[in-house]
Amino acid sequence: MPVRASTWRRSRPPILRGPAIAVIALVVILGFLSVYPLSMLLYGSLHSTPPGMAGTFNLDGYQEVMTRQNLITLLNTVGISLAKTIPSVVIAVVLAWILARTDTPFRGTLEVLITLPFFIPPILTAMAWGMLGNPQVGLLNQLFQWATGSSSAPINVYSYGGVVWHMMQYSVPFLFLLIVDAFRAMDPSLEEAARMCGAARWRTFRTITLQLMLPALTGAAILSFIRGIENFESPLFFGSPAGIRVITTDIYDSINQRSPPQYQYATAASFVIMVLLFLIVLLQWKLLRGRSFTTVTGKGYSPGVIKLGKWRWATFAFCVSFFFLTVVLPIGQLFIGSFFKFFGFYQWDMLTLDHYRAVFGSSEFWRGLGNTMYLGLAGASLTMVLGGVVAYVSVRTKWRGRLLIDAMAWLPWMMPGIVLGVGFLWGFALLPHAIPIYGTIWALLLAYISLGTPLSVRVMSSSYAQLSYDLEECSRVHGANWLQTMWRVVIALAWPSFAIGWVLIFFGIMRELSASVLLYSVGSEVLSVVLLKLWANGNAEQVSVIGLIMMALVLIFRWVQLKIMKSQLGTLRA
Amino acid sequence: MSSVTLENISKSFGDFNAVSGVDLRVSEGEFVTLLGPSGCGKTTTLRMVAGLEQNTGGRISIGSDVVSDAARGLFVPSERRQLGMVFQSYAIWPHLTVFENVAYPLRVRRRPSAEIGERVSKALLLVEMEGFAQRPAPALSGGQQQRVAIARALVSEPKVLLLDEPLSNLDAKLRLQMGEEFRAIQKRLGMTTIYVTHDQSEAMALSDRVVVMERGKIQQIGAPEEIYRFPTKRTVAAFFGTPNLLDAEVEGCERLDGRRVRLDVVGKGWRGSCEAADEARPGEVVTVMVRPEDTRIVMADSGAGEQELKWSGHIAHTTYRGAIRSVVVQTENGRLTVDAAASCNYAIGDNVNVVAHRRAAWAIRKDEALI
Repeated sequence: MPVRASTWRRSRPPILRGPAIAVIALVVILGFLSVYPLSMLLYGSLHSTPPGMAGTFNLDGYQEVMTRQNLITLLNTVGISLAKTIPSVVIAVVLAWILARTDTPFRGTLEVLITLPFFIPPILTAMAWGMLGNPQVGLLNQLFQWATGSSSAPINVYSYGGVVWHMMQYSVPFLFLLIVDAFRAMDPSLEEAARMCGAARWRTFRTITLQLMLPALTGAAILSFIRGIENFESPLFFGSPAGIRVITTDIYDSINQRSPPQYQYATAASFVIMVLLFLIVLLQWKLLRGRSFTTVTGKGYSPGVIKLGKWRWATFAFCVSFFFLTVVLPIGQLFIGSFFKFFGFYQWDMLTLDHYRAVFGSSEFWRGLGNTMYLGLAGASLTMVLGGVVAYVSVRTKWRGRLLIDAMAWLPWMMPGIVLGVGFLWGFALLPHAIPIYGTIWALLLAYISLGTPLSVRVMSSSYAQLSYDLEECSRVHGANWLQTMWRVVIALAWPSFAIGWVLIFFGIMRELSASVLLYSVGSEVLSVVLLKLWANGNAEQVSVIGLIMMALVLIFRWVQLKIMKSQLGTLRA
Repeated sequence: MSSVTLENISKSFGDFNAVSGVDLRVSEGEFVTLLGPSGCGKTTTLRMVAGLEQNTGGRISIGSDVVSDAARGLFVPSERRQLGMVFQSYAIWPHLTVFENVAYPLRVRRRPSAEIGERVSKALLLVEMEGFAQRPAPALSGGQQQRVAIARALVSEPKVLLLDEPLSNLDAKLRLQMGEEFRAIQKRLGMTTIYVTHDQSEAMALSDRVVVMERGKIQQIGAPEEIYRFPTKRTVAAFFGTPNLLDAEVEGCERLDGRRVRLDVVGKGWRGSCEAADEARPGEVVTVMVRPEDTRIVMADSGAGEQELKWSGHIAHTTYRGAIRSVVVQTENGRLTVDAAASCNYAIGDNVNVVAHRRAAWAIRKDEALI
């Protein structure tokens, strides 16, 4: 039937046009989410007046940034980040080794417990530690005074040490999650060969195990260092009260604490920190180029588990005490704090449920909870859909423009929340009045999507990378068109990763403070902003109640996520 | 069932020509194997038939329908070519059961579920997997996954069955068994089949015709025996087993029948006659192929028959291989490999003669030998 051939010819143009339309649509969306705020940042830094007002272009902003005071701020930022990264790496390596390579009891449970701090919004632990380590009425100091009888207060979290300690609670589990698989998946014969050559256990660990881990460790440490520079909560809570300034809090103060707000200064400083981070990322690429992150071939090795004898209870205790310090103590403080009339005065006659009544009766709390849930659900879903599409285009197709899309989606990864917040602040204010995003909940939604996209792309890329092309091609040959293949094969196989990524993005939105605090307005406060306001008003008791509720949410979502991961492993390894 | 016609097909990736100028016609119900070393373009050719790659030149037809014509910009996507395919990795979807895997081609074509149930059970029965329908796909062994993949490829009664190295992931024993089962099913259904492999024994055992490819070009097409015994090129000869290839000069030429000629040739330290496909002028240099299994070793002083070729030399070394013993004899014309009985034993250095019947010696033209 040669006649049919001519009717088939029409089938070709959509195949050619489809990618072009998709690529253009993605470029527009990603451009608005990443390139637009970035260029507004640059525009703002050169413009003498706040967004929307007539002004001139000059370099005053950059001039203000280049001062001696700011050099100290920069040194503070870098110094604090280094001070928290180095001990964090050491602790994370020890934890990873204990849980991946020794016969310490209850390793599965311990792993869940010690990674938990990573999922708790930092604002909660910051407030809890603010109460625990308060030099006047902190619980730890009270305990110390009660136990020793002295009147001195050795612990003060409002210090360099406090900032570093609070950051470490996040960077240790973060680093652990990044490196533990490298420990777990290592080919044991590499170590066994060293043993056969006469190296003792410690020497083997030093000369083989650690060396093989070095690329993975370096990468993770640089990432952690970058996170330290971007950190906002720790210096805001523990640094600012003690007069310790870092770049992120400096940007925040120049907009929120000064009248009139110093927009030009803030945007110029934001742009400078972006450039700094970009240089670090370049350095990271240079350092790690050509060095593989994996010492594995993908075969299912069962790495040699070292028998520790009775020392295994020491390693067990080490893991438990980490969990106790980073999770039990702060949550316990929130729990106690929520039942006493005044924070710091813990006597039986001060017990009360008033704070619960106040919180549940407050419209502000319910609005914040509603906004957070709404933004979390919508934001996580949209971010994952966008990430899924971007990852598909960049990993699974050979379309022209996929590299550009990939780079644009990655761009927000370099932007600390506070910087992106400033960029969007300008961006939304300069939009035509027909698009009223400024000061609405949409502003937060867009910022969250932008912040979450790099992560969602990464999660979905690695998920697609595991699917062999054959699975897709096989479907096409057997009569399924592109859409059917996507739906029945690709999405059906990638949905567990989608769900895991979704929960991660949801966590990210729930904990987000630095961009939210710049972009919220009356009516669109999220829980973290409500908490910050209450804290600023000195209402630590209601903060504890809301903190506990958020903790419960975190635990539920983390549990669901672990469930999905387990079932996914089950189906793929069965 | 349909025939498949490839007319001057080529495929280039940038400057690299993966396939160039391939002409092939596969008849209805025929089993054709594309054979060649890795990177020879055989898989690319198969994927162009499947519509997974678009040919950059030439025309592909399935039955009477042109499915791809580079000149006219015509390209029918895979899913509308009505094919069945078995992938090297089997591509069994891990999120579906065996039943759902096999039912997939029918589901996407929106067949009624009663029909799906019936046809899937029939397909599973054909590959003897009827008891596994409700198993999750990852819980299968390699051989079982293979069977499921075949059932899935056959269930929609495709026009053509395509197989991309389907046996290469199986162990030797299973490979033999599955190959035979393939052939049996294919014959029973009379399915037009294109099969890609790099394994020469698989190609010999299964195919009606073998297409030998190298560097993106077809070297020779023919029945397995024809390709093995009468290669037209040195590369084809060398691809099967380890034949002895000797250079010789033509002295005389005589036509035997429509297909063969007899050549009188002289080499270094030997002379005699052999057969060839084409006539050659006296003085022309040809390559004479003698397969190890067609030669035998005789005492040094014994002569050869009139219809035999003879080389004198001494034993260089021997290798015991179980069924046979490989004996390498050093002659004036280089080393010759001889398949001798396993029970024979020779001492290194013994003077011997190697003889072969002239009908077992096949000459290949030199100009074609150097592609």
